[in-house]
Amino acid sequence: MRSFDIISMGLKNLFRRKTRTILTVLGVVIGTAAIVVMVSLGIGMNENFEEQLKQMGNLNIINVTKYRNSPDNTGGPPKEIVLDSIAISKISAIKGIRGVTPVVEGNMKLVSGKYMAYVSVMGIDARTIENFDYPVEQGRLLQEGDTDKILVGGNIPQYFYNPKTRYGMMGPNSKPPVDVLTDKLEVTFDMSYGEKRRQEGIGGSETSEKPPKLYKVKGVGLLSVTNDWQKDGYIFMDYNYLQKLMKDNAKSQNGKQDNYWGMPSTDTSKGFERLMVMVDNMKDVDRVQKEIDEMGYGTNSLADMRKPMQKQAQTIQLVLGGIGAISLLISALGITNTMIMSIYERTREIGVMKVLGCKMNNIRQLFLLEAGVIGFFGGCVGVLLSYLASLVLNTVGRNIMNSGDGGMVGMGMGMGMGMNSGGSKISVIPPWLALLSIVFAILIGIVSGFSPARRAMKLSALEAIKSE
Amino acid sequence: MENIIEVKGIRKVYRVGNEKVIALENIDLSIGKGEICCLLGTSGSGKSTLLNLMAGLEKPTRGEIIIKNTHVEKLDEKRLVLFRQKYIGFVFQSYNLLPNLTAMENVGLPLAFKGIPRWIRDKKSKQMLSSVGLKSHSNRKPSQMSGGQQQRVGIARAFVGNPEIVFADEPTGNLDSKTTVEVMDLITGIARKNNQTLIIVTHDTNIAGYADKIIHILDGNIEKVEFKTPSLIK
Repeated sequence: MRSFDIISMGLKNLFRRKTRTILTVLGVVIGTAAIVVMVSLGIGMNENFEEQLKQMGNLNIINVTKYRNSPDNTGGPPKEIVLDSIAISKISAIKGIRGVTPVVEGNMKLVSGKYMAYVSVMGIDARTIENFDYPVEQGRLLQEGDTDKILVGGNIPQYFYNPKTRYGMMGPNSKPPVDVLTDKLEVTFDMSYGEKRRQEGIGGSETSEKPPKLYKVKGVGLLSVTNDWQKDGYIFMDYNYLQKLMKDNAKSQNGKQDNYWGMPSTDTSKGFERLMVMVDNMKDVDRVQKEIDEMGYGTNSLADMRKPMQKQAQTIQLVLGGIGAISLLISALGITNTMIMSIYERTREIGVMKVLGCKMNNIRQLFLLEAGVIGFFGGCVGVLLSYLASLVLNTVGRNIMNSGDGGMVGMGMGMGMGMNSGGSKISVIPPWLALLSIVFAILIGIVSGFSPARRAMKLSALEAIKSE
Repeated sequence: MENIIEVKGIRKVYRVGNEKVIALENIDLSIGKGEICCLLGTSGSGKSTLLNLMAGLEKPTRGEIIIKNTHVEKLDEKRLVLFRQKYIGFVFQSYNLLPNLTAMENVGLPLAFKGIPRWIRDKKSKQMLSSVGLKSHSNRKPSQMSGGQQQRVGIARAFVGNPEIVFADEPTGNLDSKTTVEVMDLITGIARKNNQTLIIVTHDTNIAGYADKIIHILDGNIEKVEFKTPSLIK
């Protein structure tokens, strides 16, 4: 029998009992929708996690610090290890690493004429900065030999304000008053530079303070906005130059360190404060981190945070998927039941077909096809319904979540992250899920139809035509 | 004349609970090609069982059935299906048309099972339907036709593949006497025209009158064989 004939015959049979077919299909619709919506919730949660992690920084970066917790975690003060150029070359030798740089961080004031901005500054080895995924919007990255050059984070232009006027920072959409690439720029470690000296009248001693030192810098590049706060809110300098500025500043201020917040020790004889390691592939982060750890250095990365999050998300996904699976199982029973009923009804027909020379395989195919078609229609409508449900969840649910501060995150994670819950979507149905569930529904149909089809095939032709 | 069907020493025993019921005992018969043969007997005589055995719908307890030099009793179900596709047509007492198919589709069914494409099927089915006088009914469903019309469709279906043998089990059992005559004329007419072997099971002696050879069956045995029109048997 030609497959086209089998298909048209199967469809005709299904249309013959419209109500019953529709009811069975409805069962599959509900089962599919349940499973898709449940899984979509899990995927949505996962995506939210990823989104949040991305805001916290680059997932491929491992931080190596000179403080190492005692390996057995029994407490006690962390051990200090020297991070020097030997350490860098040792770490660079690990497979899968794209770049290693020493890092020094601090806070500065960026000054351009009457405008100024509070910024964080990060010193990075200019020779390897290209390996760290800094997306340049204008200009260029730092290069070897750049001394007084700075690379400016995407949000920095919005930070400029005029301390002489009463207005605060510019709105996010207004044009920034300073062009960091062309305007003259200076940096200072004196955070109160340019502000009204409120303490003047009180202490008196402050007036004897030397004028704050300003260092001329030149902006060479502007990064695009990434939503990663470690990129957007920073300016970047060559490690060595920043280190020099810090030393110089410390000398000139002599024991007045308490005016300058956030200044790490400038003593490089004990090695670097921190290294940043860029791993080529996110999958390798765990392995590389472990290898560095085994070398005896202290490490941390966002992957540390990511793993328990993923695990939790997986557990929740599994539970949700399980609930959906139960409803699909019930719909599978529905299909089996329908097909068995259909065999009882059509016993005679099957017998006649056999007597007229219909092959056993064709009979089985016919019944499997009918069951599969029920699964297919159920799956398609179920997926449509899920998209609808997902839409409703995302529009209605978002309002609830935003008012509930943290929503999903609070539910699963209890992370005390001081950031918005990201939660752009509660339920996400990627195309693969839609496709997979339709295929799955068809499969469920065929599996449920298997035993009835077998039964139909085995029917004795004689018994079938005898039954009156 | 060449024998198309040979039955040798057939015995068929049914088990009903603990009791054995002998349906057929030591049946020997042969049917020639192009012969119209009638199995005549009362209900429970075993005539339908004999037909089922010859059509391969049942297996004999003992004995041989040879059709077209093939031992039908030795074929497995798959081969039987192919064998039936090739050589055998069927007319049922209760027509057994598929209710959701039109007359034309019903007639084309045996061809569909053979894997013949639709356009050829439809052409042949239409020809067949017009030869049974139902040209205008080709798109009707069985429920829209009378018993006689349905049986004509059944006959068209049995003959559409041009099988060498057609079995008819009480083909007029559900029809009134006028329609019976029409249907019998039709079925024997087609069989004779194409030199096809027709085996009719009936309890009606009037029907038996259409046959070349009447095999009287009584209580599982062949009582006598009667040749109605010896001129036809060479």
